Amino acid sequence: MKKAGFTQAWLPILLLVPQLSIILIFFYWPAAQAVQSSFYLQDPFGFGSTFVGADNYTDLLGNAEYKRIAWFTVIFTVSVTFLSLSLALLLAVKADKVIRGAKGYRTLLMWVYAVAPPVAGFIGLIMFNQSWGPITRTFAALGHDLKIGVNYWDTAGAMIAVSVWKQIPVNFIFFLSGLQSIPRSVREAALIDNRSASSRFWGVTFPLLAPTGFFLLIINITYALFDTFGVIDTLVKGEPGNNPMTLVYKVYVDGFRGNDLGGSSAQSVILMVLVLALTVFQFRMVERRIHYT
Amino acid sequence: MSDMTNPPRRRLRLGTIMDHAILIIGVLVMVLPLVMLVQMSSIPDTEIIKTGPSLHFGDQLDDNFEKAMFGATGFSGENAGTRMLMNSLILGIGFAVGKIVIGMMAAYAIVYFRLRFATLAFWVIFTTLLLPLEVRILPSYEVVQNLGMVNTYHGLIIPLIASATATFFFRQFFRSVPEELVEAARIDGAGPVRFFIDILVPLSQTMIAAMFIIMFVFGWNQYLWPTMITTEEGMFTLVRGIKQIVQVLEGNRVPEFGRANLLAIIAVVPPVLIVVFFQSWFVKGLTESDK
Amino acid sequence: MKKLTLASAALTALWTGAAFAETEITWWHAMGGDLGETVNQIAADFNASQDEYKITPVFKGSYEETLTAGIAAFRAGEQPNIMQVFDAGAATVIGAKGATVPVQDLLTENGVDFDINDYISGVRYFYADADGKMIGMPFNSSSPIMYYNVDALAAAGVTAPKTWEEFQTVTAPALKEAGYTALSQSHLPWIFTENFMSRHNLPFATNDNGYTGTDTKILVNNDAIKAHFTAVTEWQDQGYFEWFGTGWGDNQTPFEEGKVAIWLGSSGSFGGLANKDLGFEFSADYLPYWEAVTEAPTQTFIGGAALFAMAGKSDAENKATAAFFEYMTKPETQYFWHQETGYVPITEAAYDLAKADGHYDRSPAAEVGIKQLSLPAGDYTKGYRMGFYVQIRDVMNREYGRILTGETSVEDAFNAIEKEANELLARFAKTQG
Repeated sequence: MKKAGFTQAWLPILLLVPQLSIILIFFYWPAAQAVQSSFYLQDPFGFGSTFVGADNYTDLLGNAEYKRIAWFTVIFTVSVTFLSLSLALLLAVKADKVIRGAKGYRTLLMWVYAVAPPVAGFIGLIMFNQSWGPITRTFAALGHDLKIGVNYWDTAGAMIAVSVWKQIPVNFIFFLSGLQSIPRSVREAALIDNRSASSRFWGVTFPLLAPTGFFLLIINITYALFDTFGVIDTLVKGEPGNNPMTLVYKVYVDGFRGNDLGGSSAQSVILMVLVLALTVFQFRMVERRIHYT
Repeated sequence: MSDMTNPPRRRLRLGTIMDHAILIIGVLVMVLPLVMLVQMSSIPDTEIIKTGPSLHFGDQLDDNFEKAMFGATGFSGENAGTRMLMNSLILGIGFAVGKIVIGMMAAYAIVYFRLRFATLAFWVIFTTLLLPLEVRILPSYEVVQNLGMVNTYHGLIIPLIASATATFFFRQFFRSVPEELVEAARIDGAGPVRFFIDILVPLSQTMIAAMFIIMFVFGWNQYLWPTMITTEEGMFTLVRGIKQIVQVLEGNRVPEFGRANLLAIIAVVPPVLIVVFFQSWFVKGLTESDK
Repeated sequence: MKKLTLASAALTALWTGAAFAETEITWWHAMGGDLGETVNQIAADFNASQDEYKITPVFKGSYEETLTAGIAAFRAGEQPNIMQVFDAGAATVIGAKGATVPVQDLLTENGVDFDINDYISGVRYFYADADGKMIGMPFNSSSPIMYYNVDALAAAGVTAPKTWEEFQTVTAPALKEAGYTALSQSHLPWIFTENFMSRHNLPFATNDNGYTGTDTKILVNNDAIKAHFTAVTEWQDQGYFEWFGTGWGDNQTPFEEGKVAIWLGSSGSFGGLANKDLGFEFSADYLPYWEAVTEAPTQTFIGGAALFAMAGKSDAENKATAAFFEYMTKPETQYFWHQETGYVPITEAAYDLAKADGHYDRSPAAEVGIKQLSLPAGDYTKGYRMGFYVQIRDVMNREYGRILTGETSVEDAFNAIEKEANELLARFAKTQG
């Protein structure tokens, strides 16, 4: 910590106590319980339990379905991240360019930020309704029989579409203010060097946006991994069936729906490790970036 | 901005039209679903299940609003829309305020004090940053039960606060505050408490406002946790209430699409209004926090 | 004047006195929407019928959410008095001895007459233990039955099929000719697996369908059911059958829209269909069976859910719970529930009341479910008991979905179901250790 600080000993501790106690009671205590129960198979009501060592983990890693879900999670995360970032960037670049109605566009493009994931999923259910959903009808007119809940990849597409729809506003806001903070002098210099708009964008603007882009990358990955839970749950109507699902949804399905405490705890621990790695990675990158800016 | 004047006029026209076209498509994609929700809550349920959304607006809007807002579905009659609206507000505001107060205090301690266990405290706090409640929900529920906090507002709010997002943002912000300020304050003889209250808090106003909006929306939109933790109908939140009605869409009677849609609209409107009205703070806070 | 105030004071005292003496109990259930309102009605009527007890029903979400919330609450000592648990969760809640008070014990200990033979035969043993003691009180009991569009069948010149052989050779081709998709169904594990077993009296699992032990193996990988699914895929190819997804309503909607002529669904859906103003006449009949498998088809399992009295409550509260169960099983209450929802009445007396009242003369299709549950029983028709059954159903749904979208073969799918289900059963056995 490079801030020249105060030296009182008791005050910082007092300031940290609320945060630390809440985290210890409501984060580390449950997390420790999850780690512990991942080594047991226990009756959900708490009557019987058997210590099974690492069986819960080996069962998972040997399960073909779990691997398939892990794969889908990767595909889903990459698609949601890529699509929501690139579409938001496109809209931000355009919104930055136009003069007329800039504020109106900005407002109308960002309000979806406030929509709750289950509500977004509910809207998706209506749009993709098998009998009269507007999107289903559009696809039918184009010659594709869209079948949400039947066809694996159709359902995956709907999940991705709704998740992207919900995420575009955040990315849009970040990109737009990233663009607007590029100094006028840089833009003018670029204008003299490069005649073509696209080479100006890729040669000058895009690299300048890279830090924002990196920060957003992490935000979007965590969003796709965790916050899409409500979207997925609503879209599959609580029935996993042969629908695609993500790792977090699988934790919910086995633990919350199926009461397999040991198995779902092991899945939670795997996710915790994954997220921990992501956090460390993010910190190292963010810290480094702060040195540069 | 500046490149609007230089290129030849004809190309500029075409380009501008394209820009607007793309933006308009974007806006339509974002806005039309809500218009559709409004349309669907204006026609009778029996019509919706047959035809779905259309361009025709009916006259059921008042009726559905009345049902969604004041009609209670539960046994106690305590989960009318108004009550759920209040609970959602309490959750959103309580969560936002709690998180900001606790986060600012912790961030202040971490940035401005020489702490013996600073690195340890830092990691203890920031490990919680990305791991959502969903993956540890069952043990969390048990903890809350053990503390007798089920069906209380603090049981609803405090466990959600147990992650360090706000702390992280305030830490980033405090680190960008010029160091000269602390030195000046020290020369003036101001102690850490006065420095915090008189200088740092006013300096953070925009940041606080932005955090408030972000956290309010986050708290308002919670679903799984309120479902677990509230068993009394008087404690239901709007997002949880929607699920209750959506579930009926799969049930065996005429699904109450109108009511569900309208409840969805009610659930969406307050956070949207906050985001739209305070967008300049919100945008500024969001984007400054990552510096 | 003075007399009057005195009288009213006495009345007030009496009233508040009564209010204080009331024993309050809670009931967590999974009945949303209109069903939930019927539940609330029953609770309110019970509260009004006496002044010793007060029951409060609470909607806790889906069946799975209700069970999980109940379990979490039990672990923390905050459980409700009554919890509704669905068929697939039966093994979990019955396996945890000490989590519930068997209803049979609860009732007899609190001086309520109990005779298991008062209950209609199809519901007696599904929520009972291996010795035939009733553990959970059947509540919303339903069975899968065959609904059909009367107009469509008339247009095609056929009657409702009794057997699957009749369906595939006579009914389905004629319906296709008349422009209909012949068949859809709403729950593949429930209708085409569990009740396929009971309708044909086939063993579903070792250990007497899982009742007598936890080292159970599933017997789902058999030739009869594989032949059935092979036939289903052929029907799908021929345009006789269509599958609209795992969601219940997705498969019911095309029937309501008049695109599908025959729909296999819950007898509990009757009330809903009758309310929907479908634009065609519908009726119902028994679930068809394969003549090639059996000449003597048997009764089906009950689906739906049961009410369990949670352990760890005071005697006074248990007494209140017993009183509520007594009220629940009264013929009048059962008949009200049956009429409102379409779920079957669980006692013979309630069934008789419905008959005497002419309910089935007014809507004959409402009787199909209970008649099917009263068909002759077989060795394997009382129920099944398998742990982690929610996940086993998830595996079935997944593999069936893959069969019907051409991602896997019938043979591979059943191998996968058998393997994964047995792994889950073995894991469950360890949780009981």
